[in-house]
Amino acid sequence: MPLLTHGCPMTNTDTLTPALAAPDSRVRTFWSMVWRIYRSRLINRIALMWLFLIIVIAVIIPFIANDAPYTVFINGHREFPLFRNLTRIDLIILIFAAAAATFAVVFRHTLRLLLSLDELRAKRLRWALALLAIATLSSGVLYLVKSDYLDNRDYHQLAQSGQLQHPVYAPLHWGFADQEPLNLDRVFEYPSHDHLLGTDGNGRDALARLLWSVRIVLAIGLISEVIALVIGVFYGAINGYFLGRVDILGMRFVEVVEAIPTLFLLITFVALYGRNIFMLMVIIGLTSWTGIARFVRAEFLRIRHLDYVTAAKASGLPVRSILFRHMLPNGLTPVIVNFTFGVAGAVGSESILSFLGIGVEPPTPSWGSMLNEAGNPAETFRWWLAIAPGLMIFLTVFAYNIIGEGLRDAIDPRTNKAE
Amino acid sequence: MAQYIFRRMLLMIPTLIGMTLVLFAIVRFAPGLSTGGGAFSTAGEMSNKQSRAEAEKIMQRRLHLVDAQGNKIALPMQYIYWLSDTVRGNFGESIQYNQPVAKLIKERLPTTMFLNLISTFIVYLIAIPGGMLASVKRGKTFDVLWGFSTLALYSLPIIWIGDMMIGFLANPRYLAWFPATGIHSTDTSRMTFVAYVGDYLWHVVLPVLCLSYGGFAYLSKLKRAAMLDNLTQDYVRTARAKGLSNFVVITRHVFRNSLLPMITVFAGIIPGLLGGAVIVETIFSIKGMGDLMLNATFARDLPIIQAVAFIGSVIALICLLIADIGYALADPRVSYD
Repeated sequence: MPLLTHGCPMTNTDTLTPALAAPDSRVRTFWSMVWRIYRSRLINRIALMWLFLIIVIAVIIPFIANDAPYTVFINGHREFPLFRNLTRIDLIILIFAAAAATFAVVFRHTLRLLLSLDELRAKRLRWALALLAIATLSSGVLYLVKSDYLDNRDYHQLAQSGQLQHPVYAPLHWGFADQEPLNLDRVFEYPSHDHLLGTDGNGRDALARLLWSVRIVLAIGLISEVIALVIGVFYGAINGYFLGRVDILGMRFVEVVEAIPTLFLLITFVALYGRNIFMLMVIIGLTSWTGIARFVRAEFLRIRHLDYVTAAKASGLPVRSILFRHMLPNGLTPVIVNFTFGVAGAVGSESILSFLGIGVEPPTPSWGSMLNEAGNPAETFRWWLAIAPGLMIFLTVFAYNIIGEGLRDAIDPRTNKAE
Repeated sequence: MAQYIFRRMLLMIPTLIGMTLVLFAIVRFAPGLSTGGGAFSTAGEMSNKQSRAEAEKIMQRRLHLVDAQGNKIALPMQYIYWLSDTVRGNFGESIQYNQPVAKLIKERLPTTMFLNLISTFIVYLIAIPGGMLASVKRGKTFDVLWGFSTLALYSLPIIWIGDMMIGFLANPRYLAWFPATGIHSTDTSRMTFVAYVGDYLWHVVLPVLCLSYGGFAYLSKLKRAAMLDNLTQDYVRTARAKGLSNFVVITRHVFRNSLLPMITVFAGIIPGLLGGAVIVETIFSIKGMGDLMLNATFARDLPIIQAVAFIGSVIALICLLIADIGYALADPRVSYD
């Protein structure tokens, strides 16, 4: 590993640690080099910030856009409707977000401990595993123990009839499915003070739906691509390692899947196998693994001739160990670039399917279906409903693509040398 | 050469068979299909006279799930029946329209193909000079801006741009420069040929724009990389050394040698374009293959879905073949044996 100044954003430690300190105090790993190259371009950092922003929105969306007040007096009793209404999914997302935030703090903090690289890695790994275990365990328990509270109250009506005393509302007091109470002329409204982006055909607040969509979009993009990643990596690894007949047959199959136009395949799947969210994730995953498989295969073809693989073979290790313990970690790094581009593609696919009316089911909001609900542009063009969701799709897909490009430039040694 | 083409076509046969197997499996293992219930019972817009059970029976018959007596047919035989029908160009009868699927496809295939060919042409027309210029101005403002803007275009969702184009450019409320739907005016029969072509071009401006802008990024990046590869080669130095101007070196030598990868990816962009056609045809209400497929999806009209997916894949395979032959023609180093 070449010794370069590390790229982790530290300001204080540089002054705190004198130059005499052990050279190990500055962590120079592969990833810190990648990060240093990546962050050298402003647009890369902006893309990462956008992604971070929408992840934060996805986590705390129940606290941003919700019709239930944080706290309110009803008939003289203090209640906390928003907190009571949190679903199990909301809570599980919060738990994992908290675990991730804790890990981020640990990650930064461990830098200052002046540990050797191995100690540092071990420490971080221990923390990561512990946090993951705690989060998984607690959300599992939560999922089994808690049941979702079904709130039948219409807080908008209650507020109008003056039954809510001292309500403290979320910044946007509309959920994704709340309609303007019994008021038919409040559909397709222009943006106003009440509804910053207007209302859709059911009198629902467009901004609230726009923000709630973040969750669906992120989840479908990430999970479907993880599915594609798992399939692609295993498939490519096996083809690239065994070669011969396995590889010839296997790559023919990849060609077959690639030849079928993806959207046709997606539509066929949706038409036949239904269209709930989990099905969508699986289907998008099943149609986008071929690129990753090709890539991993090519990497394995390169790696299998390296000395350490020969050494592993010569020492009689089982194939499982050679494949997954020795070769995979080395062949996997560049795949993260494909993964990022894949997520961009999956977000696009989801929006297209939802736009065509065969994606997520209503009333679940998604940017694609919001665009669809804006109506036929040739007749009454409601630009205020169409611009925002399209812009969100664009920015998100663009951010993923920029991150992919930035990572490729940072990881690929060839582009490094050239520039 | 003829031998090479023939051999290449022979190699396509296993791929084609694999493809039919995949399509067959996807359709046959759909929930509710073989049992005749479940999700399948929502069989679309049937005429009111037929009950659902009857509709399903017809579907099962048309998909060769049961024979004329209502006995179940074994899975391998189902595949063979379907394959032999398909090879003969008989895609069965549509449930929705009660017409042969082949006829429906014949009506719509040219529309989609023309849209795609025009778009492909435009993509190449813009991406190649763009990529070239980017490689010449490597690292300069143009290169960075071109890379950035083509990536932005690639990320722009067609569904959004299509909506915006219709809404602002084809809507009497704002600007009605272009027609919003179809690819012909209603009274084409009385037009002269020139007027007919003009009318067609006027109709396809927006759809073609939608289909093509996303392709610039990939192709121009490829062109740029190929140019850069070539620019460092010895023959370029030789050409420069014998006193050729930079312009001649770039346009006559490097340009032609860096065209090869552009030919190979021709096959790769066609499946994507066919997918894009589904969206564009839906947005612009063009009666093409994509529109046919989408409507069949809502009506669960399986014969159409199967046939369109099959034909789309065959088109993609043919493009792969054309790309291979083009490569062999362009590169004298490819051996025909």
